[in-house]
Amino acid sequence: MPDYLETTVDKFIFKVATDRYYSAEGVWALVEGDRIRIGMTDFVQQRNGDITFAVVRSEGTALEAGDEVAAIETIKANVSLASPVSGTVAEVNPAMEMSPEVANQDPYGEGWLVVVQARDWPGDRDSLLDPRAYFELMKGQAEEEAKKL
Amino acid sequence: MPDLPQRKVGIVACSGEELAEGTVTRLAALRVLEQLRSGDTVTICLPLFLAGGEGDRAFARFYPTIAVDGCDKRCAARATELYSGKPAASVVVSDLVSEHGLRRPEGTRRLNASGQQAVELTAGRVAGLVDQLLDGQWSRRSGSFVKAEATAQPEDAVQATCSCGSGIPIQKVDVDGRTVSLVALPLIFEQFRGDGKAPGADVAKQLLDIVRIYNPLPAGSDEAYLTALAREYAAFYSQKEAGL
Amino acid sequence: MIVPCSGIGKSYGAVSREAAYILTEDARPQSTQLVALSLLVLGDAEARAAVEAQPTVTIDGCKLACAAKMVQDSGGSVARGFAVLDVYRRHRELKPQGIAELNEGGQQLAHALAEEISAVVDDLIAQDEARHHA
Repeated sequence: MPDYLETTVDKFIFKVATDRYYSAEGVWALVEGDRIRIGMTDFVQQRNGDITFAVVRSEGTALEAGDEVAAIETIKANVSLASPVSGTVAEVNPAMEMSPEVANQDPYGEGWLVVVQARDWPGDRDSLLDPRAYFELMKGQAEEEAKKL
Repeated sequence: MPDLPQRKVGIVACSGEELAEGTVTRLAALRVLEQLRSGDTVTICLPLFLAGGEGDRAFARFYPTIAVDGCDKRCAARATELYSGKPAASVVVSDLVSEHGLRRPEGTRRLNASGQQAVELTAGRVAGLVDQLLDGQWSRRSGSFVKAEATAQPEDAVQATCSCGSGIPIQKVDVDGRTVSLVALPLIFEQFRGDGKAPGADVAKQLLDIVRIYNPLPAGSDEAYLTALAREYAAFYSQKEAGL
Repeated sequence: MIVPCSGIGKSYGAVSREAAYILTEDARPQSTQLVALSLLVLGDAEARAAVEAQPTVTIDGCKLACAAKMVQDSGGSVARGFAVLDVYRRHRELKPQGIAELNEGGQQLAHALAEEISAVVDDLIAQDEARHHA
């Protein structure tokens, strides 16, 4: 179980796991040897609401960093999530087909999207944020959204 | 110095399904939340609140909350008091309707004309209360408004610097083998350290007094919380002294 | 007994409430009764007696399943739990929107949900009658 950075905006508690990297758009990348597990952050899942459908790129798909890795549908929004890494999709979370809400319930654990066999992790990593940097960015975004409501 | 959390007011509506007044509470709350005071209010979902929603309960502990109930069973007000703290204000639709000599609302799914009137009346009352609460200083210790010139109140503890920035930080603490979330604890620690209070038995008691304002503590648990707070504050203090 | 969550934060909560009304007022008024979740949780004797004595169907908006959890915690047992989210997945064209006022999609979704629950209610009653005759 990772540790979390945590902040509260109004009644919403947002967590950022401290053991992985992040894109500015809220997709996390967890290193597992030469493979990278990918998912959406707690902020992204809370902001967009309960996931009704998720379409995830299939096994064997070649991806560049920035390519769409998943399309998420909620009653609030249709969200396209971009892969933070380049490589080939090695595994797809089977829960995404029938129970994508697992990404709402456990965004940093059981709610993972895909595992990518990375092609150039050191190169991709340089474009990503460490947990503290993402936390600060996310906090700002959350506070801005709270002001709009 | 980081900005303090923006003051907002929580609204918890009973949404009771069995009476038209329950539907009135729901529509009135939504009217205030979406139209009348949209930037100043936050909805607290009662079922989630009852089922243990941590964010909703923490919000209702830290911010003034208005309970809007349909009838004198006052489920929203009682739930708020049970899980967070006494609501800053309580509106009961059946009382309000009586007070204004309106006919009783009818229709649980589609309110009749009296029901619509009751919605407007309730929404107006709640909006007025929101304004009062945002203008006034609500003391959680006394459960009432305090005068502006009152001497140091527990709210001063909120004026601490906070390393995590704005928002209401929550810290999970082991209390006698159980993990408990304590609202505002990091802020309270920062305030104490800022006031030059080194860890010790006396300081632990002071911490307990402040923590109690924001977090309902089970009866008979003071000793366990004292031990936990003393330990956590000592660890926090040492880390800060070591520059971590 | 029908216990909706009536959550106020999402359209799903509004659908749960509407479906409960359709069921208890139109579709199965003789064989169903609404029980307010908060009354149950806060210890109302009548509400507690009702869920203890009769099979209970919960209607939750989302997967947080507040109604199902709280009915169980309050001494009732959930004969069947529904989540609006799951029903929406089966009726993707009926996208619910609005909380104070449900859109057409939400209204239709509530009807679809009430229909599914009606079938379950009929089953539960049939099972109960069969037990009495046995």
